[in-house]
Amino acid sequence: MEKLLEFNNVKYFYQTKESEVCALNGVNFTVEKESFSSLVGPSGCGKTTILSLTAGLLTPSSGKILLDNKPVEQNDERIGYMFQRDHLFEWRSIWQNIILGLEIKKMKKDEKKLALAEDLLKKYDLYNFKNKKPRQLSGGMRQRVALIRTLVLEPALLLLDEPFSALDFQTRLKVCDDVYEIIKSEKKTALLVTHDISEALSMSDKIIILTKRPAEVKTELELSFPQETPLKKREDKDFGNYFEMIWRNLV
Amino acid sequence: MKKKIVNYSKARRKYLKSLRNNKILIIVLQFTVLLAFLGIWELLAQTEVIDPFFFSSPSRIAVTIVDLFQNGNLLLHMWTSLYETIIGFVLATFIGFVIAIILWWSERLRKVLEPYLIILNSLPKIALGPMIIFWVGSGTGATIVMCILICVIITTISMLNAFISCDNDKILLMKSMHAKKYQILFKLIIPNALPEFATALKINVGMSWVGTIMGEYLSSKAGLGYLINYGSQLLKLDIVMASIVILCLLASGMYFLVSPLEKKYKK
Ligand SMILES: Nc1ncnc2c1ncn2[C@@H]1O[C@H](COP(=O)(O)OP(=O)(O)OP(=O)(O)O)[C@@H](O)[C@H]1O
Ligand SMILES: [Mg+2]
Repeated sequence: MEKLLEFNNVKYFYQTKESEVCALNGVNFTVEKESFSSLVGPSGCGKTTILSLTAGLLTPSSGKILLDNKPVEQNDERIGYMFQRDHLFEWRSIWQNIILGLEIKKMKKDEKKLALAEDLLKKYDLYNFKNKKPRQLSGGMRQRVALIRTLVLEPALLLLDEPFSALDFQTRLKVCDDVYEIIKSEKKTALLVTHDISEALSMSDKIIILTKRPAEVKTELELSFPQETPLKKREDKDFGNYFEMIWRNLV
Repeated sequence: MKKKIVNYSKARRKYLKSLRNNKILIIVLQFTVLLAFLGIWELLAQTEVIDPFFFSSPSRIAVTIVDLFQNGNLLLHMWTSLYETIIGFVLATFIGFVIAIILWWSERLRKVLEPYLIILNSLPKIALGPMIIFWVGSGTGATIVMCILICVIITTISMLNAFISCDNDKILLMKSMHAKKYQILFKLIIPNALPEFATALKINVGMSWVGTIMGEYLSSKAGLGYLINYGSQLLKLDIVMASIVILCLLASGMYFLVSPLEKKYKK
């Protein structure tokens, strides 16, 4: 498999008035094209920092981050970032929210992109809500809209920072399935941050386990369940064993 | 006209009806309070329990208003005050908004100017009255300047607070899409602050009337403030009361023009 993202001995220090906080202490990992990888680690270990660095919102103190073998700074168009909360703009309709990124990139008139946006809306059962305001949608639907808003820009890599944690358990399982389906069928590469071990297990091809802060990669775990969807993977007989193994690595 | 046929359940119909009745009742009561107030006032004045010279009475006020219309240029006074208030209101809101944008844009400038904003905000603007007259001369100009001084700082502060209280993650989201700063401003910061803007408008209506009346007290040749001042100097308290009633009507009219905006954005 070809690799899309590579962290090469990346260090990052937060500077504050009081002190210098070392968040990442030499992080190394790769993410393969069209794969689904997850980052798990203790709370506050530096997971969000890793995503922010990848998205170019922060610059590493040292080390290299490569996207398609080029430094990320030179690849700025190709990363989509999805946050814990959907951050839909309440004053915009669903459609206007979805084309936010296109507006920013001055591609509001790009027929191809607009057609893609319409397609995605239709495909994922949101077309009827096109002209509604975000507050009229359920939490799960809003999360799907947020995903489509990201996908419309056709990013090569999707960063997902605990995008399901604000949802209740039932919805969460459903939205996990939906998002997984969308990402796989659009042939996207995804890097997911989650607190939830079973969520990581059910969605990922690879799990990257981090140590507590300052983060380093503790181990990586390649997974290949025979089942197709996250929900079904949860029923696999080895699921529990994997769960325990990761659990032991985290504490 | 075709009647829309809707099949509501019995309970729903009952609920809607009680809702409507309740609304009507409130309006009726509101008018009753007004009428009772005017009636008691009139009665007390007629029977001279209160001295109508000092307290006036609804009938005297009505007569005075009619008289002022016919012989006293009331329309001119109303128009002068309204004009000063609207110009002051619009300019102050605009200037305050623009300053807030500038201060949002430059964090350093904001830090530098922060204490000055606080000082200016706590200064009672009326104290500047005499200076204003020296600077811009007396009359309409001075009144508008007073209006602006009263509204502009508070507009700046409340808009700036609304701008910087925008969720940082939303800004990061925009940045992750490579938005430029001006795009963050126009697509996120300003629309996000619209509810606060509507509130600021509402507050400014009241404040700019305060500014206008204060300005006209200081120095003016026309306006409701002038009329009030004039009436009190000549001990024609009916004129004072009549002006206050008209002021009330104008100010609340303006208030009701802007307050739907707030409802629209505060959802
Ligand atoms: N802006 C900042 N300034 C200073 N320190 C920060 C800043 N942001 C994060 N940190 C620190 O860096 C460390 C890593 O933060 P990060 O947000 O990456 O952790 P995380 O793994 O995403 O945590 P969580 O599981 O709570 O989401 C934390 O200890 C945090 O206190
Ligand atoms: Mg985090």
